[in-house]
Amino acid sequence: MSEAPADIEITDPVTITLDGRQVVVQRGALLIDACERNGVYIPRFCYHPRMRPVGMCRMCLVEVDTGRGASLQPSCMLQCSSDMVVDTQSDKTRKAQEGVLEFLLLNHPLDCPVCDRGGECPLQDQTVGYGPGETRFVDEKRHYEKPIAISRTVLLDRERCILCDRCTRFAKEVAGDPLIDFQDRGSRTQVNTFPNQPFASYFSGNTVQICPVGALTAEPYRFKARPWDLEIVESSCTTCSVGCRVTIQSSRNQVLRCLGVDSDPVNWGWLCDKGRYGVEALNAEGRLGVPLGRGRSVKTDDETALEEVSWAGALRTAADAITSALDRRGPEGVAVIGGARLTNEAQYAWVKLLKGVIGTDNLDAQLGDGIPAEIVLGLPLATIDDACRPGSTTVVVSGDPKEELPILYLRLRHAAVQDGVNLIEIGPKAGGLTPYATVAMHPLPGELADLVRAVVGGGAGGAVAGVDPASIERARSLLADTDGEMTLVVGRRSLSEDTGFTADAVSVLVSAYDKVRILPALRRANVLGALTMGMAPGVLPGRVALAAAPDAYSTRWPALPAGRGLDTTGILTAAAEGRIDTLILLGADPLTDFPDRDLAERALAGARNVIAVDQFVNDSVRLAEVVLPAAGFAECAGTTTNIEGRILKLEQSTTPPGTARPDWMIAAELAAELGSDLGLDSVEQIWKEIAELSPSHVDLTWEMLSDPQNRDGLVARGDPLPGSVRFEAPEPTAHRALDSYSLRLVATRKLYDEGTMVGRCRSCAGLAEETALAMNPHDFERLGVEDGGRVTVSSKRGSTVIEARGEAGVPRNSVALVVNAPNFDVGTLIDANDAVNEVRVEALQSVAGETGSEGGS
Amino acid sequence: MPRLTPENVRRAKEIISRYPRPRSALIPLLHLAQEQDGWLTEDAMEDVAELVGVTPAQVIGTASFYEMFKMEPVGRYVINVCTNISCLLLGGETLLQHAEATLGIKPGSTTEDGLFTLEDVECVAACTEAPCLQVNYRYFYRVTNDDFDRILADLRDGDLSRDIPEHGILSRVPQRIPTGKVANITPPEDQRVPVWIERAAPDKAAAGGDEA
Amino acid sequence: MGYLDGFRVTFKKLFEQRVTQQYPAEKQEKPVRLHGRHVLNRYEDGMEKCIGCELCAGVCPAKCIYVRGKDNPVDDPVSPGERYGFVYEINYLRCIHCDLCVEACPTEAITESKLFEFSFTNRYDAIYTRDELLVDGDGRPRQLPWEDWREGEDEWTSGWMRATSPSGDVAFENTVAWSGELGHGIRPPEQGQRADGGGE
Repeated sequence: MSEAPADIEITDPVTITLDGRQVVVQRGALLIDACERNGVYIPRFCYHPRMRPVGMCRMCLVEVDTGRGASLQPSCMLQCSSDMVVDTQSDKTRKAQEGVLEFLLLNHPLDCPVCDRGGECPLQDQTVGYGPGETRFVDEKRHYEKPIAISRTVLLDRERCILCDRCTRFAKEVAGDPLIDFQDRGSRTQVNTFPNQPFASYFSGNTVQICPVGALTAEPYRFKARPWDLEIVESSCTTCSVGCRVTIQSSRNQVLRCLGVDSDPVNWGWLCDKGRYGVEALNAEGRLGVPLGRGRSVKTDDETALEEVSWAGALRTAADAITSALDRRGPEGVAVIGGARLTNEAQYAWVKLLKGVIGTDNLDAQLGDGIPAEIVLGLPLATIDDACRPGSTTVVVSGDPKEELPILYLRLRHAAVQDGVNLIEIGPKAGGLTPYATVAMHPLPGELADLVRAVVGGGAGGAVAGVDPASIERARSLLADTDGEMTLVVGRRSLSEDTGFTADAVSVLVSAYDKVRILPALRRANVLGALTMGMAPGVLPGRVALAAAPDAYSTRWPALPAGRGLDTTGILTAAAEGRIDTLILLGADPLTDFPDRDLAERALAGARNVIAVDQFVNDSVRLAEVVLPAAGFAECAGTTTNIEGRILKLEQSTTPPGTARPDWMIAAELAAELGSDLGLDSVEQIWKEIAELSPSHVDLTWEMLSDPQNRDGLVARGDPLPGSVRFEAPEPTAHRALDSYSLRLVATRKLYDEGTMVGRCRSCAGLAEETALAMNPHDFERLGVEDGGRVTVSSKRGSTVIEARGEAGVPRNSVALVVNAPNFDVGTLIDANDAVNEVRVEALQSVAGETGSEGGS
Repeated sequence: MPRLTPENVRRAKEIISRYPRPRSALIPLLHLAQEQDGWLTEDAMEDVAELVGVTPAQVIGTASFYEMFKMEPVGRYVINVCTNISCLLLGGETLLQHAEATLGIKPGSTTEDGLFTLEDVECVAACTEAPCLQVNYRYFYRVTNDDFDRILADLRDGDLSRDIPEHGILSRVPQRIPTGKVANITPPEDQRVPVWIERAAPDKAAAGGDEA
Repeated sequence: MGYLDGFRVTFKKLFEQRVTQQYPAEKQEKPVRLHGRHVLNRYEDGMEKCIGCELCAGVCPAKCIYVRGKDNPVDDPVSPGERYGFVYEINYLRCIHCDLCVEACPTEAITESKLFEFSFTNRYDAIYTRDELLVDGDGRPRQLPWEDWREGEDEWTSGWMRATSPSGDVAFENTVAWSGELGHGIRPPEQGQRADGGGE
């Protein structure tokens, strides 16, 4: 909750007189900040260090003499200049503060006992601290209807509003969603939305956090607790991989809310709503607290229901399944997918179990929806600050960060809007960053590398991959202006497109510019930790290549895999062909998350035994032989790694439900059941072993991570070391040329989908929007399709009937669908082995002959 | 609910082109919408938002400040009776009471036939001619109760329809600005010299025609 | 001879006024400010006074109160306003009857009766729930099997005084008002607390 200004280095000092003493401050710094840095807190409501000052509330009036005589001036609008004389304690100042508070309280109802803000309310606190004590106002206060819902999660009580402009400024300036504004300006000014257009921003929850009164309250936290009965721990959000710092606030062993903490390198105090309200899933119905099993039988039909079993029995069954796989096929018969949900320590424990004890390398934390591990591990990593360095150029080759990594989007948006960062967006279709990008290019699926080659190499000057030559030229000149230093935000652009194209594009950029650093835009919570800890084929903890494993591993681990294993697509293909005996799902739901639904279904049916370690029973877990309940976020301590490679502490707030255990413990128990000892018995000790073994964590001790000075986390070594996994330029991925009948499929993510956690989070469930078939309006005529009309879309895998919608940001000759939407699973159209997935689209009502004859435009 | 008609969308685009930033055309476009429907419908405001590239919330935030933009349907004629000091002293209050009795409505409401909306207003800057009132913002000076009855009768009979168009129409003659006569098209951030200095430049001192 | 002195004392006491009372058959009159078992009051219209603000729980030095608020049902509100006390529990194994909860309560919802004779026999009975604490439709406290209520004692349920004045000013000298209450709780307002007889 701290809203203190960040410490700055004084580069241009001026001396001012503050309450009679001489202090040196930065010239041009806001007086309110300068005073706070020198230990004098000036009361305020509207001023927020992460937003532009507006001087709305007048609470920060202080008596200032700038050489023209002392007068009251708002300190949030005043920049420090030399020889300023500031008196924050003068009678005049006190009188102004009392007066402002008396006026603010004229219309503010004194319903503090029922107000969710009561007890942590800046208005309450400052009235006690600076207020007049009594009011002279005896008339009726202004009345409005008590809370009105301005969105699914935000309630607005206009009576309590003091018109500080914080929420509206946040919506406009920070989030870029100005869906709330002052209305009826004058004596009845109120904040409100347009009628029937809710404040549906991904960042709406922040307005509740920064509201200095109880005007905006969060529906999920409404009347749940009071501030004084909350136990607060500071931790990191693990909803996505940005690693926002949060405080987890619990009462009676139940997590009730999460608030953002201002972490300068990462989230600046902001959170997305999915992260803010995602903790609701922890207490959701269906949360696993006991192991589930199907007795001791080998895999039977799905009809055998999962029932509660003992931990001993469940672990025995799991160990037996692994042992039988080892007996029948050796280590290659065991495969694991998932693991990005885990803490770094749990990931290490599982990797040690799988690669060091069982000896299999069939392990992949990404569910075929990420990018090759070599890009992340084999290239130098950038920080978010690198990508947002004022005046720099950042290339974004990923899906829409607004949908996948919302806070990264906020940072990039701020960088582009306020700090003059040139964004070159090379997305699958127009997205959240497009309006702020200096150049936005949306190449046709499969032609990304061609576009990047055109940008880098220069050339004929024609359109490439459907992108106009002017944009290419603009991007080229922007990149030429950089001194080679450049941040490349790289992630999965579309689930229906092979990652080979991305790898190819990255290799082109890396070889063309000498100082390219990578910021992986991977969305799963601790996916970077997973990759660094070796949860990918051919990798050992610390970005070490399996092929070049140092002796330390063979001496400390009982075994090492014989050779490089399979990635998720490989594992699922092998399982479908019956070559995987035991498939372990480590917090993974391949049926929902793997792009190719058909392959995932065949794989789960083809594996002899499926073991699941999860928090809920989802579609994939339902097919498991045995389910081990795992502790979730806020229920176990450890560390997580964000997209920058920053190691952030996670703190335990509550206890896991039932007998659910932390994942590392499950790995240790399973090892014991297999007759081996991992030698891991506490999180701290696991970290010690990681720091000893992993070259990228070598200097990071547990003590350093636990030091309150390092609460923003410590960035692990992000540069490739000798022996690290290497990124090598791939062979260009081949794909079919475009014919006039087919359209290329783009499958992108939305923030709210039908995923396991979102569906169980009460505030987020139901926010997933239905997908329509988005296509460029230019393609309508050629295909005989109408905007809003129903069409049949079919691939070689399947077909469906869906509404077509015009969207100018979709590249021509392609169609876009949203992954994991409530009305349609795009996975049923995708073949993971195709480099580019093609579909055909036919209007449902029009005559097929007409459609064909009009083609070719 | 009516959106902007295609003709009005065309006019809107023409108006937008007069300004360096589309959003600067917000108020003129709201007048256009009010001219079309007599008041600002939600659909029209959404249309305007789309045209000038802001959100509907920002449109309503601006529009709701201005008394002359009506957020609810009003009668064909909006009658504003001044009750500020000069008019008050010379019988404005009595006139308002008479108007209430004659029309059978309270200030702020509309007669059932949808013809008249009565409002009491603060000073409309005609103190020398008090008490005064406006019908659709057209002035009537030194109004007595009898005058009021006569005005109502004339409005009902259509005798005044030449002078007073229905509510929302500010001027029957649409403003036409010849191309090249646009005032200060320089975007604000590119403006180096203050606007008034540029205007005072000797070449074209008469920069008229920019009053909306 | 010394033991005769002892008999002398006994003999003398035979003719003195007796101070022993036949408790529990007879009971002493309780002081007006006695802190006994709590009740949750209702307004005259039957609405609950408790708004679930948890200030009592916050101020409780023994941490014996557990409150949770909830949205008032729109069509059948429990208390005036937005919020009502959905869960209200007092653990009498912990309560020290300090009355700070009564002081803290912004709506005079919780007050203490004069009842101190309640001997539960298990730990679950020791935790009084909202239903047990709430006064009934006549404003009388619910009498639980293990509580020793006598005739007329249930009239003495409303809090007698609040030490603090409405504005928190210790020098306040005026009527300390008491909001209207259902049934038997209504008391004449207590006067200011001056030494020269300002009190009632």
